[in-house]
Amino acid sequence: MPAEHDDRIDDEVLQRVVAELRRPVRLDPTVDQRALEEIGSEAAGWPASRHGHRWGAWLAGGAIAAGLLLALLPGSGPREPATAVAPAAPAPTAGGRPIYLRLEAPTSSRVAVVGDFNDWDPAATPLRPAGDDGTWVVELRLKPGRYHYTFLIDGRRWERDPSEPPAAESDFGAPVSVLTVS
Amino acid sequence: MSNLRLPFTLFLLVAPAVAAAQDSRLAERLDGATAASVQQVVDSARRDGLPTEPLVQKALEGSTLGASDERIVAAVGALRGQLGRAREALGGKASEAELTTAAGALRAGLPPTALRRLQSLRSGRPLVVPIAVLTDLVAEGVPAEQATQSVLDLARDGRPDDEFVALRRQVQVQRRGGAGNPAGRPALRPAADPPVDR
Amino acid sequence: MSDSDAALVARTLGGDLGAYAGLMARYRDKFGGYAFHMLGNREDAQEAMQDSFVRAYRGLGACRQPDRFGAWLFRILVNRCRTVRRRLQRDRRFDADLPDDIAAGGSRPDSFEWRDEIGQALGRLRPHYREAFLLRYVEGLEYSEMSEMTGAKEPALRMRVKRASDQLRELLRDVHAG
Repeated sequence: MPAEHDDRIDDEVLQRVVAELRRPVRLDPTVDQRALEEIGSEAAGWPASRHGHRWGAWLAGGAIAAGLLLALLPGSGPREPATAVAPAAPAPTAGGRPIYLRLEAPTSSRVAVVGDFNDWDPAATPLRPAGDDGTWVVELRLKPGRYHYTFLIDGRRWERDPSEPPAAESDFGAPVSVLTVS
Repeated sequence: MSNLRLPFTLFLLVAPAVAAAQDSRLAERLDGATAASVQQVVDSARRDGLPTEPLVQKALEGSTLGASDERIVAAVGALRGQLGRAREALGGKASEAELTTAAGALRAGLPPTALRRLQSLRSGRPLVVPIAVLTDLVAEGVPAEQATQSVLDLARDGRPDDEFVALRRQVQVQRRGGAGNPAGRPALRPAADPPVDR
Repeated sequence: MSDSDAALVARTLGGDLGAYAGLMARYRDKFGGYAFHMLGNREDAQEAMQDSFVRAYRGLGACRQPDRFGAWLFRILVNRCRTVRRRLQRDRRFDADLPDDIAAGGSRPDSFEWRDEIGQALGRLRPHYREAFLLRYVEGLEYSEMSEMTGAKEPALRMRVKRASDQLRELLRDVHAG
C-alpha cells in the first residue's frame, strides 16, 4: 500500500531503498516446524511430562537437515473456550505420536509419502494442500522408532524431505530421508 | 507301504503351515523367489532374536522404489548383518529401536566401538536419540571422528536428549549457511584425540 | 483452492494443527522481510518469527477478527522483534544474505552490493527509526496504525520516519550515485 500524506518519498535514493526492502525475504520453512514443536511440547507439559519428543527437522532444498519430531498430543488446542474437536484424521499407524510432515511443492497436483510407517504404499498416505503457497501437509501417528521415507510427487518423481536428514546411504538409488521419533 | 505314506501325510499337513508363516506383504509385493529369499533372511533374524520388521520394510522399500530383485535381497541381507553387529555392540538388552538405530549408525560407517562407548557413558539411559543424532551428523557431512567426539562429550556430561538434538540443529543451521555463513563450518568441539575405548 | 484466514483460524481452534501450519506457511514469507530488515540477520528473524507463531497460537482465541489474522500476527511480530533486539542488547551484524530471493537481479554483483549497503545503512539507524521507516514505507501502514501497534504517538512516529529517511538518504547517496 503506497504511503499517503505529506511524507511521500520523492527522491530516487529512497525509492530504490524501499523497492529493495519490499522484495520478499524467504525465511527457513522449518520455522513453522519448530513453532509446532514448541506448541506441542507445551501441550505435553515437557519437560515435566515423559511423553517423549519428536523434533522437527528443517531445511530447504539441497541442504541436509535433521531433526527429531516433537510429539504433539491430541487435543492440544489454543487456550480459549472452543468446542473441543478431535484432531485431524489419524495417520497410518494406530496409536503413536502425532507427527507432521510438510513439503513445499507449488507446481504439483498430488503428493504422497511412502515409508517404513505405511509399508511404502504410494496409495496409503496422500498429503493435502495447506495454505495457498504450494505447501502440502499430512499428520502421521508414529510409535517411537526410526523411519525411512520419501515423498512421491505427481505419482512419478521421488523427493527427499529437505527438513530431515538423508538416509546415510540410499539402498536403492532414490532420495530417502530418516526421521526419529523418541 | 503304509508306514511310508504316514510321514508323507504328515509332511503335507505341515507344509502349508510353514508356507503360511511368510509375511503376506512380501508375497503381495515381491515375486515368489524374491519373497522366499527375503523371508529366509527374516526367519533367520527372528531365530536370533533380532528385529524383523525393519527387514520387511527394507524389502517393501525396494519394491516401491523399483529396485531389482537382486538388489532388494542384497539390501535386506546387509541390514540383517548390521542388526546382528548392532546387537553384538550393544548387547542383548538393547531394545528393538536401539538396535535398528544402531544398525543405521553402522551403515553410516560408525564403528561399533563408538556405540559401545556411548552406551557406557549413557549408563543405562536410552540410546535412540544419541545414536540417531550421531548418525545424522555423519549423514550431514560432519567427519565421523568429530561427530563422535561431540556426541560422546554430551553423553559424558550426562546431557539430556534435547541437547543432542540441539547439537544437530546447530550443525544444520550452520551447514545451511553455506557461502553466506562466515563461520562456514559447524561449531562442534574439535576432536582432540580419537575416542578411547576401555 | 485456499482457505481464508478465518476458516483456518476456526479449524485451528478446533484442534487442527494442520490448519495452523497453513497459516504459518502463508505468513512466514510475507512478514519475513520485516523481521529480517528489522533484526538484520536471518537467524534472529527466524527466531522472532517462530516466537510470534507460538504466541499467536497461544492467544488465538483472543483474535477478534480472524479474517484479519495476518494483521494481528504482524502486530505480535513487531513486538517480538523489539523483544529479540532488546534481549540481544546490541544490533547484530546486518548481513546482505538474502538467498532464495526473487531471481530478478538477484545474482548481479552490483545489486548484491546495493542490498548489502542498504543492510548496513539500516543497521546504523536507531532501532526506533528503523522500525518506523519499515512500518511506514515498506509495510505501508498509516500513522494511526503504527501508533496503535507501537504505543508511540503519531508526531513522534513522523519524526522517527523523517530522521530515518534523512539518515538513509545521506548514507546511501554516494553508493547510489556510484
